[in-house]
Amino acid sequence: MNKKISYIMTSNEMIVVYIIIGLSVLIGIVNPAFFGMSTIISLSRSMLVTLIFAVCEMIIIISGGIDVSFPAIACISLYATIKVVLFTGIDNPAFAFLLAGLIGMAFGAVNAFLIVKYKIPPLIATLGVSSVANGGTLAFLGTKEISNIPDNIDRLSKAFIYSHTNPDGITYQLTALILIPVFVCIMAFLILKYTMLGRGIYAIGGDKNAARIAGFNVSGIQFIIYMASGCFAGIGGITYMILMRQASPQVLMGSEMMVIAAVVVGGTRITGGHGSVLGTLLGVGLITLVQNNLIMLGVPTHFQTFVVGLIIVIGTSITSLRAKRIANSAKV
Amino acid sequence: MDKLKTNIRNMDKNTVTLFAISVFIFIIMGILAPKSFLGVTNLQGMCVQFPEFGILSLGMMLAMISGGIDLSLVGIANLSGIVGTVIMLKMGGGSASVFIGIAVGLLTGMLCGIFNGILIGYLQIPPMLVTLCGLQLFTGLGLAITKGPALTGLPGEFSVIANGTIIGIPIALIIFIIAAIAVSFLLKSTVYGQHVSYKGTNAIASGYSGIDNLKVTIITYAISGLLGAVGGIVMTSHYNSAKSDYGTSYTLLSLLIVVLGGTNPDGGKGKVIGVTLAVIVLQLVSSAFNILRVNSFVKTFVWGLILIFIMIITTIVDKKQIKREAKGE
Repeated sequence: MNKKISYIMTSNEMIVVYIIIGLSVLIGIVNPAFFGMSTIISLSRSMLVTLIFAVCEMIIIISGGIDVSFPAIACISLYATIKVVLFTGIDNPAFAFLLAGLIGMAFGAVNAFLIVKYKIPPLIATLGVSSVANGGTLAFLGTKEISNIPDNIDRLSKAFIYSHTNPDGITYQLTALILIPVFVCIMAFLILKYTMLGRGIYAIGGDKNAARIAGFNVSGIQFIIYMASGCFAGIGGITYMILMRQASPQVLMGSEMMVIAAVVVGGTRITGGHGSVLGTLLGVGLITLVQNNLIMLGVPTHFQTFVVGLIIVIGTSITSLRAKRIANSAKV
Repeated sequence: MDKLKTNIRNMDKNTVTLFAISVFIFIIMGILAPKSFLGVTNLQGMCVQFPEFGILSLGMMLAMISGGIDLSLVGIANLSGIVGTVIMLKMGGGSASVFIGIAVGLLTGMLCGIFNGILIGYLQIPPMLVTLCGLQLFTGLGLAITKGPALTGLPGEFSVIANGTIIGIPIALIIFIIAAIAVSFLLKSTVYGQHVSYKGTNAIASGYSGIDNLKVTIITYAISGLLGAVGGIVMTSHYNSAKSDYGTSYTLLSLLIVVLGGTNPDGGKGKVIGVTLAVIVLQLVSSAFNILRVNSFVKTFVWGLILIFIMIITTIVDKKQIKREAKGE
């Protein structure tokens, strides 16, 4: 029993929790207003879209692959969707989400096709697809930012499920869109833990050949995860658009680094086979916390990129040192 | 005649394809826009543009041959350029300061590379992750030094690197040629070159056969970082200023070039001549697009398509070869 507790206390997830607590205390000392509902609400708002991407990325990394095309897929999905919506005049949120999901899924299918059928390394395949999607958006769909989002879709940005007024009379409201990442997290958790598909994803990440011999349909599973990832990238894109109330064709580009970092800091091994939804949730939380609050700690803005990079390097080093120690320790 | 035929047959298929493509583009553009494309200004302009990402691609190739990847090259390039610029500005901008600035810039690149190498080799973190973090870290460091805006006011002697010529040949091109020959020599004629390709083919086997994988990894990334710094110095000279986010598209571009040039993304195989030809092909495509006034975003689109198609073709050719070998031909 003691062993189990000490195992839990030193797990990857707990290390991230310690760092988060330490950082929060530090920020709290500098700025006492940090401890309060307002922080939680603004944090959840900032990590909303990242979380959707991160969970998909985590599943792909667990399967031994990587996907750097999701920002481009999200951008093309949101931009193409808003163009279609404005052109046809179908002002229905469900339609927008569906269309974005389908466009995303199509690109995900291209990824899967290249990776499964032609055995192109995932990084290069998704980099190529990313370049095609991004170049295609800007070249053929346009470069202008669109801010006249139709009313029904726009109304979603004002749907709140919880509101909190602090003593100063400033009201913080939690957007209803938070339900999307919550749903994605719960689904991912259930699928990874309790279905054959989920176990298959871990198996592929551990050893592709062993998984095949054990009877898993490796190509099928890879197709499913890349398509699902594309689909949720599209949905994430449209969510971001509603949240920002603006559609820009390039706004999410460059966020892949942050998402991969969050996933890895959360204890997912980039070599595949290991990772958990809870870890990813914490990883995203940590990165968002750092990004949002460095200014409060007195770190100038131009130092932020460096500090975030440093935290990622330290986080990954700790994870890999642990993995190395486990590999070297005596096997029972 | 027969001798010529066997010679051609023995040549690398990839090299021949790339050569054919570049000749093809030359002919097409020669017909479409003979004056502007084949003019001396355009040819010289091309020779100034491609060394920047050409040198970065050489670094990427080395990392890829060793079985890794180096996504931090652009970050290293910018950081080296920035550090060099700061030194030059601090020292007053004389000729001596230019030399010291360049030297310190190159050293910076090498140190960044060694940092990558240690994380990859000693801590066994996958190269892709380390260099992706490295990109963030080095870009961040550059941003921290410049505080955002570009550093300007570089001494006049420094801009000679990108804009000067020796008997009509741009100096940048000469730097690229020297770098290419050096890397080619390193791969073909040194013990290190052999070790790096063994390690790329099978790291475990090379470890058991007595090759010091850690040392090879660190040297590889150090050289890659050095090449990144050389690219950065040329880039800084070209823009005549230093900033932390110049050339962000070069990461994709150099990856594309290296794969296009026939380097095996899994490691072990790669040729300087292939990469050089790939650089030239891409520069030709890029110049052709500029002259035909195609939207520059189409370029990104087309580059992605080229990358995907080349990968597909390579896989199909490989599969056929394996089949043929299995038949015993």
